[in-house]
Amino acid sequence: MSRTLTFHIFRYNPQDPASQPHLQDFSLEETANMTLFIALNRLREEQDPGLMFDFCCRAGICGSCGMVVNGRPRLACQTKTKDLPHEITLLPLPVFKLIGDLCVDTGSWFREMYTRTESWIHTNTPFDPTKEEARMDNAVAEAIYEMERCIECGCCIAACSTARMRPDFLGAAGLARIARFALDPRDERTDRDYFELIGNDFGVFGCMGLLACEDVCPKNLPLQNQLGFLRRKMGITAIKQLFRKD
Amino acid sequence: MERYHTDLLVIGAGLSGERIAVEAAEAGFDVICLSIVPARRSHSSAAQGGMQAALGNCAMGEGDCPDVHFEDTVKGSDWGCDQEVARMFVEAAPIEMRRLAHWGVPWNRVVPGKSCYFKGGELFEKYEKEEKAGLITARSFGGTAKWRTCYTSDGTGHAVMCTMDNRCAQLGIRVLDRKEAIALLHDGERALGAIVRCLRTGALEVFLARATAVCTGGFGRLYRATTNAIICDGAGAAMLLDTGRVPIGNPEAIQFHPTGIVPTDILVTEGCRGDGGTLLDVDEYRFMPDYEPAKAELASRDVVSRRMIEHMRKGKGVPSPYGEHLWLDIRHLGDAHISTKLREVDEICKHFLGIDPRASLIPVRPTQHYTMAGIRTDKTGAAYGLAGLFSAGEAACWDLHGFNRLGGNSLAETVVAGGIIGRHIVEYLQGTPAPTFPMALVEAEVARQQARIQDLISGRLGRENVFTLRGMMQDALMEGCFVFRNDAGLRACIARLQEVLERTSRLGLRSSGLGANPELAAALKLPGQVRLALCIAAAALARTESRGSHNREDYPERNDRDWLKRTLAYWDEGASLPRLAYEEATAVFELPPGDRGYGGGKIIPADPAHIAAKTRRPHSAC
Amino acid sequence: MSTSFVLVDRPEVRRLSRSRADALWDLIQVLSGLGLALFLAFHTLLTASVLLGARVLDAVAGGLEAIHLDTLAHWSVPVLFLVHFVAAARKVPFRWREQQALWAQARTLRHADTWAWVFQAVSGMAVLLLGVIHMWTTIGAGAIQAASSAARVQSDGWVILYLLLAPLGQGHAVVGVYRAGVKWGVFQDVHRAQVVRVGLFVLGGGVLLSLAALVRYATL
Repeated sequence: MSRTLTFHIFRYNPQDPASQPHLQDFSLEETANMTLFIALNRLREEQDPGLMFDFCCRAGICGSCGMVVNGRPRLACQTKTKDLPHEITLLPLPVFKLIGDLCVDTGSWFREMYTRTESWIHTNTPFDPTKEEARMDNAVAEAIYEMERCIECGCCIAACSTARMRPDFLGAAGLARIARFALDPRDERTDRDYFELIGNDFGVFGCMGLLACEDVCPKNLPLQNQLGFLRRKMGITAIKQLFRKD
Repeated sequence: MERYHTDLLVIGAGLSGERIAVEAAEAGFDVICLSIVPARRSHSSAAQGGMQAALGNCAMGEGDCPDVHFEDTVKGSDWGCDQEVARMFVEAAPIEMRRLAHWGVPWNRVVPGKSCYFKGGELFEKYEKEEKAGLITARSFGGTAKWRTCYTSDGTGHAVMCTMDNRCAQLGIRVLDRKEAIALLHDGERALGAIVRCLRTGALEVFLARATAVCTGGFGRLYRATTNAIICDGAGAAMLLDTGRVPIGNPEAIQFHPTGIVPTDILVTEGCRGDGGTLLDVDEYRFMPDYEPAKAELASRDVVSRRMIEHMRKGKGVPSPYGEHLWLDIRHLGDAHISTKLREVDEICKHFLGIDPRASLIPVRPTQHYTMAGIRTDKTGAAYGLAGLFSAGEAACWDLHGFNRLGGNSLAETVVAGGIIGRHIVEYLQGTPAPTFPMALVEAEVARQQARIQDLISGRLGRENVFTLRGMMQDALMEGCFVFRNDAGLRACIARLQEVLERTSRLGLRSSGLGANPELAAALKLPGQVRLALCIAAAALARTESRGSHNREDYPERNDRDWLKRTLAYWDEGASLPRLAYEEATAVFELPPGDRGYGGGKIIPADPAHIAAKTRRPHSAC
Repeated sequence: MSTSFVLVDRPEVRRLSRSRADALWDLIQVLSGLGLALFLAFHTLLTASVLLGARVLDAVAGGLEAIHLDTLAHWSVPVLFLVHFVAAARKVPFRWREQQALWAQARTLRHADTWAWVFQAVSGMAVLLLGVIHMWTTIGAGAIQAASSAARVQSDGWVILYLLLAPLGQGHAVVGVYRAGVKWGVFQDVHRAQVVRVGLFVLGGGVLLSLAALVRYATL
């Protein structure tokens, strides 16, 4: 029952002048319940200690280990080898800046996204430590959390043809962030405020509706519905603005 | 070489680090946060369960107040905690939860009306009051008298981490990821910043700061089986231990979690048991009520872990290729509950075990989970030994948890302590003039670190394999310093660790070491990790009693007469063992030592006159 | 911003264009596309009515002319056509670097919706060219009659144009309506598979219908 897996792994170390981008082959005996986390660590410890890849929680919670596995962006830690053919090609996520081998710089991309979407609650109410908290309907809290579940793995961005063609596109992760705040009664921003952030081709109108984001999201976020919701909301705002003076 | 200046350097951008950063930035100080991973990937985000705070909004939390929370915390710590710290914490926690709500955390809220819950496999009903509708609600967690754990579905840590990082973005705090501090800069009196290796390029950088806060989390990765993330490797604590001036508090106080899945040791939340999940043995028999009739599966973690090992030693474990385990049963909680309240658990079962918890039992065993141990600080979060140095969160031994921390207290500690200590750091910055940074000292430290890297790359000192040695260290702790400990096992463990430490002086890389090289990162931190491991084992050997999660088979009783005190482990340069010193566990008692009410075991009482002299009555009542 | 918030003022926060043009173009693209799809559906049914006999076609066409729908179509369709092209072309990768990225993405991802969009871009270009020729030759050529249409199809080489134009145009329209539906949230995630099935059914039916009509014209 035990298979020998053949890995074709993208190798390139930008800090090494002698390094050239190429695919390197590795062989590994498959063991029971093997995930790509187990496999890659064994390759590093047993075959090539310089092999660069990212894992952190190894439990599908933190989003560190997004990579392209046989063509599809996904989380390596929750990819079981028994679900893959014996030939496995691993590439770094496109769109993001390459750090080395399978590591990409999602951190910088997402920090810029926070700034562009102003990813925080906008309110003029100061916090009063002596008062009880503002009440909120539990269903609203759960709806917000549903969008907050994004782990910023970058799979939706890597799978997005628009992001691939236009580096300034906010992508599903960025737009879903806006949807999260638009749901939140604590955020006092209006539709017009959101429109200024995403009412253009870098934002929601850049989305071409290819839905690869929806199809690869490892957390199964409702990206399709949220993108549709935002597009309608922003489209209506655009029409309303046509009939306003300011 | 890149050089940064700032008022406050925060090493580690998890919840406590970012909470401190927010406090300092709000007071107008310049702050830089460093993190080895993008901030939101910090291990804080993996905490599923929740944060304890005595809000008392939900029906099962009625009548709760900080005093009850205080009592649970001190009992949970097995009287090992600092009671002044515990008091500060329980008083501040409810306000902090409200502050987080204000900043954007989508806490679950009270839904009025009748609802059902499970306890110990049985179905009960509760009624939530109309007047509490929409306030922050809470769930049950192990070791608490009331339902007190605030939560957002089962991604509390993740949700709070998102909010905190958003707050940092809002304040324009520089949060720099893929930066690993490898040495603390100090002049013997005062911390001055850190030398940092950039994990994008491999370059060394200098960060100079008026104050430095180390919030690098726990060190579960010293063990082979741990629920901790890869990054919880103790490098931050080891870096401070290496100064020779900063001690590790209670290094022997390591908590084990009863329910890590087999084989990957991924944690399934205590919420499973809180909501009514049960533990079964090889015969699918529910054994916990036999050991703990009152609390059963809801007894505190160390008790449940110990009982599980005890039961497996009786031959009741389930054999598997990965060793013995037991079963966690949540089948009776039903699809609606598992799909919503326990969704992450459901996903873990699907993704990492390939099973459906509605229909199948989950294989679990105790694994390392939490380090109550950490960088010893005073009540204000100031580290012992160096001025201008602070620590908070799991990295620190502030000492809220003593010898066992309660589920939900640690995640709450990150933000509550972060807020309190952040304010003390602001006071320190306001009251302390900026130092003149002795550049010769900085250059010398940079040169020393560069030489270490060169030696590892060239193999000048030897070619010992970093992964082999790291594995030996992990196995030594698993064998000699796990859930149960004894004299012979600990001595063998120490001998083994000393051998590993000696061999780490001959580490050499097999790869190029260029750029973001992972082998170099591992080799740079391994000697410090082994020293930290030796602190754990040496302190465990010295402590001849059982307290909280420190269990000596040869000294099963809790000895308040001799051991109502905290270990301080120092590492003198060139030593092969830590130097152990001790201090009083707590300066004052609000709650004099007594029986926890669970866990069993005999207590050797302390001198009553001594306790009475230090006892103060609680200053608040409810 | 319409509301002022107590914030650290940082200039980099407002980097995105404030233009409303992108939004309006996007609306124009979807509305013109839907208009054209609607027209195409009518057009397909009208031309296919020849299958019921030349007289039926002539009668239906005559009826439409009586209420001047032909005149409406003759000026509105070319306008919609042009507008839709200009609006949609804003998303089509004309630059080499973008082309490369798109093809690389489609090839590695193996994702039906991504390929469908590649088809959309390619068929759009083809329909642009073929459609202009078709409109050039039909508009102003007088009333629609079975006989004149048959003559056009039977004149040398023209059948190839229609063999390409009909399925590409219909494919483009069906994929476009699906795309517009998911983009604007009319079709939700739970309905997606069902919508795809219906779309393929409609497309298959439309293509069969127009091929049958073409055969009829070729043999009339």
